[in-house]
Amino acid sequence: MSETLAVEFKNVSKSFGERKVLQNVSFQVEVGKALCILGRSGTGKSVTLKLMIRLLRPDSGSVSVAAEDIDGLPEKDLSRVRRKMGFLFQSAALFDSLTVADNLAVPLRHFEKTMSPAEVQHTVKELLGQVGLESDKDKLPSELSGGMRKRVGLARALILKPTLLLVDEPSSGLDPITAAEIDALLLKVKQERHTTLVIVTHDVREAHKIADTLAVLDQGSLVGYGTLDELKSSENEVVRQLILES
Amino acid sequence: MSSTPTGFFSFVGGLSRFGVKSLASAVIPPYEWQYFLIQIENIGWRSLPLIAAAGLALGVVTALHTRGTLVRFGAEALIPSLQSGSFFNELGPLVTGLLISGRVGAGIGAELSNMRGTEQIDAIEAMSADSFKSLVATRVVACIVVLPLLTVFMDFTGLLGGFFSEHMASGISLQLYIHRAFSSVGWVNFIAPTLKTCVFGFIIGVVSCFYGYTINEGSAGVRRAATSSVVMSSLLVILSDVFLVKLIFFFFPGKAL
Repeated sequence: MSETLAVEFKNVSKSFGERKVLQNVSFQVEVGKALCILGRSGTGKSVTLKLMIRLLRPDSGSVSVAAEDIDGLPEKDLSRVRRKMGFLFQSAALFDSLTVADNLAVPLRHFEKTMSPAEVQHTVKELLGQVGLESDKDKLPSELSGGMRKRVGLARALILKPTLLLVDEPSSGLDPITAAEIDALLLKVKQERHTTLVIVTHDVREAHKIADTLAVLDQGSLVGYGTLDELKSSENEVVRQLILES
Repeated sequence: MSSTPTGFFSFVGGLSRFGVKSLASAVIPPYEWQYFLIQIENIGWRSLPLIAAAGLALGVVTALHTRGTLVRFGAEALIPSLQSGSFFNELGPLVTGLLISGRVGAGIGAELSNMRGTEQIDAIEAMSADSFKSLVATRVVACIVVLPLLTVFMDFTGLLGGFFSEHMASGISLQLYIHRAFSSVGWVNFIAPTLKTCVFGFIIGVVSCFYGYTINEGSAGVRRAATSSVVMSSLLVILSDVFLVKLIFFFFPGKAL
């Protein structure tokens, strides 16, 4: 795998019981680029993201991140690779019992054990400032709106300055204005930090704004892969529905 | 739990593996002291009002019932020793086990299932942190440690309730009540039944963590995890009590009341 590739899927298949979620899926994401994975609900988009960070493991095929086969890595090396990755979960996955500031501090305390409490506090404050939530640092997740939770989730995903950011449905459940704010933040991360983005979404307009490349999944298979212009000339029915009719 | 024989054995196997893994995870370093202390507070400290209220009420009620019977035989002087015997041997351990099954079992089942459903457990795993150690092992060990302590608290609040009842009925002094209560019980009657609640704690911790950690079905899953945790842990506490009482009688035959 070339060092210019941040992620590479080679013939990846994944099933849950009898249900085949992914079948022989192959694609690549170049370093510093953004890939948006599109498709209807239940087509294996979130599973694809979870395979990248080994929350799930493929039944066959290989998943490589930063030129390392993530499925074959021992725990210690996996931790080193995960250190360079951030994950914004669909539900933001904030820890209910911790304040906003403590939620952001968790990855720092886990990975950066030499950091002093003052440094942790400073980094948390800086990140919260970037997502516009500095004054909400002492609130619990239950006191935040959906958009604020997403922004805290994004700040937590970014706190270790990852080179690869995985984002699951960034705009789902949000109003158009908040969704646009999240998209702008993601675009800023990509442009200013040159972070590689892999975004799962069903919103083609969002994909159009952020992505360099689009991948369309349907019933576990990759039915479209390329730039928006390339996909516009696709003859696949699902790709045409998603790209042209949205 | 499945109603088919295969499903039943699969459940028992899964639960047993889960229990062994939780103990192994707890003894292998690094130790999650911070999470453990939080669980001690949640499971132990916050259960104290419930245990105190239940112990006092149960003490009063058992003393009232016992008095009604013993007065007819002129044996009301035996009430304090019957109170201490019944609380130390059975009422204290079993009622504490059942109350904690309800309060803590439901809480752990619902909390972990909600964490699973809202991807909080995935978020821990994505950092290469051991979610099993921080979420399951700490809760199981906290339950094992806390149950005997809560049982002692239940025993003494029960005796206090019995004293209030007897003091109102016969005017007995606290000094005489304590003398009579402890005259017929030995250390074995107190220590062995109290320590058996470590097993109750293990059962409650493992069963409720098992349901909470493995069920991922949204809000319906949270309800199912909470309900199943309470039902299964209560049932297993009662069943294991039969076995443990027999075991105590086997090892201390002369000490059984």
